Amino acid sequence: MLREFRTLLPYLRRYWPRYLAGLLFLLLADAGQLYLPQLVRRAVDLVASGGFSLAGLVPPVLLAIATAGLIALGRFFWRFFINGSSRRIENELRERLFAHLQALSTTFYGKSKTGDLMAHMTNDMNAIRMATGMAFVSFVDGFFLTLAILVILLAQNPRLALLSISPLPVLTVGVILFGKIVGEKFKSVQEGFSAMSDLAQESIAGIRVLKIFVQEQAFGRRFADKNRDYSDRNLSLAKTFGFFFPLVGFLAGLTSLIFLLLGGRSVMEGSLSPGMFTAFFAYLQMLIWPMLGAGFTVNLLQRAGASLGRINKILAEQPDIASPPPAQARRGPLQGDIRLHALSYAYPGMEKPVLLNLELDIPAGSIVGLLGRTGSGKSTLVNLLPRLLDPPPGAVFVDGHDVREYDLASLRSAIRVVPQDTFLFSTSIRENIAFGAEDADAGLLEKAAAISTIRRDLGNFPQGWETVVGERGITLSGGQKQRVALSRAIAAQAAIYILDDAMSSVDTETEEAILSALLPRLRGSTVILVSHRVSTLRNADRVVVLEGGRITQEGTPAQLAAIPGFYADILRLQQLEKILKGHG
Amino acid sequence: MSDYFESEDILKSYDSALMRRLLKYLRPYLAVFLLSLAALLASSAGELALPVIVQRTVDAHILPYHRGLVVSKLPADQLERLGKLDPALRIGDIQYLRVSGLGALSALEKDRLRAQGALLEPNYLVLRGYSDSEAARRVMASRPSLFRTVDGVAVIAEQDFRSLKPGERRALRADDFRGLARAAVWFFLVLAGVLLFTFGQTYLQAYVGQMIMKDLRTEAFDHTVGLSLRYLDSQPVGRLVNRITNDVETVNELFTSVLPSLLRDFVMMGGVLVALTLLNPRLALVTLATLPPVLVLTLLFRSRAREVFRRVRQAVSRLNGFLAEHLSGMRIVQLFVRERFSLGQFRERNDRLLEANLGEMYVFATFRPLVDLFSTTSLAAIIYFGGRFVLRDLVSLGTLIAFLNLIRMFYEPVMDLSEKYNILQSAMAGSERVFGLLDTDARIPEPAAPKALEAVRGAIEFERVSFAYKEGEAVLRDLSFRVKAGETVAIVGYTGAGKTTITSLLTRLWDIQSGSIRLDGTDIREYSTASLRRRVQSVLQDVFIFSGTVAENIRLGSPISDERVRQAVELVRADTFIDRLPGGLEARLAERGSNLSMGQRQLLSFARVLAHNPDVLILDEATGNIDTETEKLIQAALVALLKGRTSLVIAHRLSTIRHADRILVLHKGELFEEGSHAELIARQGMYYNLYRLQYLDEEPA
Ligand SMILES: Nc1ncnc2c1ncn2[C@@H]1O[C@H](COP(=O)(O)OP(=O)(O)OP(=O)(O)O)[C@@H](O)[C@H]1O
Ligand SMILES: Nc1ncnc2c1ncn2[C@@H]1O[C@H](COP(=O)(O)OP(=O)(O)OP(=O)(O)O)[C@@H](O)[C@H]1O
Ligand SMILES: [Mg+2]
Repeated sequence: MLREFRTLLPYLRRYWPRYLAGLLFLLLADAGQLYLPQLVRRAVDLVASGGFSLAGLVPPVLLAIATAGLIALGRFFWRFFINGSSRRIENELRERLFAHLQALSTTFYGKSKTGDLMAHMTNDMNAIRMATGMAFVSFVDGFFLTLAILVILLAQNPRLALLSISPLPVLTVGVILFGKIVGEKFKSVQEGFSAMSDLAQESIAGIRVLKIFVQEQAFGRRFADKNRDYSDRNLSLAKTFGFFFPLVGFLAGLTSLIFLLLGGRSVMEGSLSPGMFTAFFAYLQMLIWPMLGAGFTVNLLQRAGASLGRINKILAEQPDIASPPPAQARRGPLQGDIRLHALSYAYPGMEKPVLLNLELDIPAGSIVGLLGRTGSGKSTLVNLLPRLLDPPPGAVFVDGHDVREYDLASLRSAIRVVPQDTFLFSTSIRENIAFGAEDADAGLLEKAAAISTIRRDLGNFPQGWETVVGERGITLSGGQKQRVALSRAIAAQAAIYILDDAMSSVDTETEEAILSALLPRLRGSTVILVSHRVSTLRNADRVVVLEGGRITQEGTPAQLAAIPGFYADILRLQQLEKILKGHG
Repeated sequence: MSDYFESEDILKSYDSALMRRLLKYLRPYLAVFLLSLAALLASSAGELALPVIVQRTVDAHILPYHRGLVVSKLPADQLERLGKLDPALRIGDIQYLRVSGLGALSALEKDRLRAQGALLEPNYLVLRGYSDSEAARRVMASRPSLFRTVDGVAVIAEQDFRSLKPGERRALRADDFRGLARAAVWFFLVLAGVLLFTFGQTYLQAYVGQMIMKDLRTEAFDHTVGLSLRYLDSQPVGRLVNRITNDVETVNELFTSVLPSLLRDFVMMGGVLVALTLLNPRLALVTLATLPPVLVLTLLFRSRAREVFRRVRQAVSRLNGFLAEHLSGMRIVQLFVRERFSLGQFRERNDRLLEANLGEMYVFATFRPLVDLFSTTSLAAIIYFGGRFVLRDLVSLGTLIAFLNLIRMFYEPVMDLSEKYNILQSAMAGSERVFGLLDTDARIPEPAAPKALEAVRGAIEFERVSFAYKEGEAVLRDLSFRVKAGETVAIVGYTGAGKTTITSLLTRLWDIQSGSIRLDGTDIREYSTASLRRRVQSVLQDVFIFSGTVAENIRLGSPISDERVRQAVELVRADTFIDRLPGGLEARLAERGSNLSMGQRQLLSFARVLAHNPDVLILDEATGNIDTETEKLIQAALVALLKGRTSLVIAHRLSTIRHADRILVLHKGELFEEGSHAELIARQGMYYNLYRLQYLDEEPA
């Protein structure tokens, strides 16, 4: 488990002066705390002696107040240094994790849930912060205070000290054991929470389905089950906690009891002064916290270890799709010439390949249509080009070089994609369209919006460009979403444009209007048009037909229309002419 | 970025109405709650009793110091004021009494008495029960001059006692030893009681908290999914989920952590004050005098804490909103090479959170140490004044020691106050948000006496329907059309024309502003929404797949037999790909079905509707992402199923709607054209345009 903490080393190395300062202030506060009972003892002994003057009480009393002042100072500054550092480390680690997450590929996101990633960013970071702050403090505190108090007690009356503190080691061991049990139960509670939270998340995200199918109650019942299960897990945790904390009080009480009995006897026998008796009592009380703290340190570290383990797992997740070393990475303006050579692809963890032995040449500046049945691998193919999915080496070439040789940012900047699965950010339409074009001025954005014809719809929205689209663009119609995504892709210049079924929710007239403005705008760039509509593919220089992951046809639309095959079948099916005649 | 995620409004302050409302949830568990409170009181009483036992033991057995008064030298009025004196402790002319017994006399009087020799200087030990002890009698016999005895009670000055050998001392104080042992037994019993009661209290409290939370959460969930889309679309999903999960969790804190500990603190602080007053009112007054600064400090802290708390909350929700969105849209960030940009946005939010957290830390780091400082000051004051009172015999040493312990107990709750206040704040904020959600009454209204909806024929009628999602932005304008029972009608039109809107209105996902929509001649608002939606169902344009198995996605929560599921899957030709998935119908799908192709997801959503077998079927771009060949196979299979069933088909690919009996052409929310394919072609209007673009300039060979 300790190995997991190596992630924190660079931070600790950088923050050590702060930790050192914090440590000193912590020790100052601790020393003050240890000194206080001495003063109290002095005062009480003085009072107990009977014949004392009030003036004699003044020095210990003033000293006590001065000491308390020092303690307060120490406490403020150790918090300032240590808690401050732990917050800063949390901040930096979170940023590092986010930066790393940005580098991970679709494969990673396919296998992790958004909710879990969120939990790493929040709950796990909290646990780690506790380890770099609280655990550090309670460790130092515990160690130093325990040691000092033990020394004082043992020096003054070893027999009494040893007998009185005999229940305390039981406490520390108990805390560690308890930590294990609690750790497990805690994990179970967390799992219960995620299960419940995931269900709520999906139910609300899919609320339209729930409503259309009148499943509110069914999902309500499912939620109630998860909810009940979560409460049960919580109660089981509460049982452990509920037993443990009173037990701590009990054991602490036992030390007092033992001391009362033995110390009381000693006082009666005259071998212990009344002042000593009081001080001893106070020290014993002070021992409880560090003893407890020792156990909690272990707990906090355990929990942080688990959290760090999860985070390390992500950090260790090599971005499987990454740029080659900068020195070798190719960069720079691309022409957009694409070649596929013996390309086969299977999704990670799947046996059957989705693409099989593809050979294809797309000269720069040409428009290629991609047609194929549902699930034939079209999206997979186009996702390989910007390396959203990683092709095997030596299979996908741009401008004569393997895409894997390019600097990733440079490659992706040269390829603009309208994904099939439209994703918009919950910002304004302007921000969404400008998303990929850092330096686009208003004119360019206007143009991009005009080409996709979304400009037309903006006129109907009172907020126009500033219309906020809601999560994933929920307040737009299907075609509007797609056209915003299209504008986003064409707002910046690129060598290759990929339109993956990008106009499926757009009517044909609008589509025609889009294409007639779009294709001239994209002239000179390579365009890949994935579509189920022959009317769209008709604009391509060449159409490629994909069937079951293989290329089965290739040619100009006119050529393909003329020979029997998938393209001609589809074309015929989409011709209403025939049907019209058939109906009379 | 916009404030879509950021407008997280924060509570004003502690609100008694809120509290009262929360207590309503407590009602079903009131008995258990009261039991837990009883346990709480018992354990607090026990905890208070412990130092009292110690104090008693110290005074009565460990340091049972007495003073001697020469009765004959004492003025009569002072003697009277001392009250009833123990006759057993009258030895000759000297009355022995506890140090605390002299409290009735003023310091001045005592000084005078001391000067007159009426009040003897030394501390005396009173020994009882020595007559039963052989050893004790032997000691007394060996040094008779040190003791004054009468009727089984012996008195010895403390200095003299110390001069004895340890063995002798032990023998003499056998009675005190027994007393000490008895006290220890008591101490142990109380300790065990505290253990028991605290356990009971913690567990019962947790139980009540969990039950309340469970109820509240179920209610919040049921309420939320019952809300209208008008409301739900305006909220980020993450925020709503947060309301149901985390915010309810903070309400739990209120019941399991804040309320009990507040109560306990009150009991403890009150108990300590009472104990102090009983022990010694004067010293208690001194303690009270040290309180005002703490009070002022606490008030100051409260207002500062509220402010920093709000800043932290805002920063947290801003960061989380950003994260949730960017983690689910990471593909887009990567595709557009915006990593650096979004990292910048992240950093800005992350740093703002750090700032807020540090601000909070400063407030807390100041409060606790200061309270601690005050507590020590108060301790010092007690020592000083206590010493003064001891000097005048106003206070016994045991009382002073008890005070020193009790002061600590008094300040502990104050010190924890900062943490508790924070919990209280977040609990109140949390419950305010939960109740805010529960109070949101954005629902599609149900009719008071819903009409029965049994055998649906499926005649649909839109009469002068107007509708706007947002006020003033009309989407449908005075729209009227009819669909006869059993008819298949297609709706075409430009993107954004309002086609999807029509289907949402027909299923009452939204309610119209004016006009009327009728099913079988009755306004759909007269049916219950549930019965309407069971009859009229649509394949949604926006496909949503739940994580879970394929079969679960088709069934959802309805009792649908395996055969029906299988049938539906085969009807839409989804079997070809499902059978290739590991596990077939039981194959697990990822979040939002991301391990399927878009078309495959659409097929699943299609199969879902068919399996539910509605009377009126709406297909909104149900095959938009599906190839025409598969689509044709589906259509062929659907013929039988659609026979006699009303269906609305929305499609941009006109081949999809070839089976339609009639076609409605929608334009900007108005009915533009209507008729059969042939009629519309003949008219050469908008439909003709759509059609021509798709099909005319190319002919298959
Ligand atoms: N939830 C919503 N909130 C606000 N406005 C909406 C919402 N849904 C749709 N709109 C707006 O209503 C109008 C009609 O949308 P609708 O989805 O009915 O169009 P459509 O004809 O189905 O278009 P498409 O062919 O693109 O799917 C659009 O301008 C859209 O922006
Ligand atoms: N992340 C994934 N993991 C495993 N299999 C996948 C994943 N994504 C897609 N597949 C499978 O790969 C095959 C090809 O999918 P792809 O999305 O490329 O199809 P497509 O041709 O684009 O289909 P459509 O026309 O429906 O969009 C499908 O059978 C699909 O189930
Ligand atoms: Mg639509």
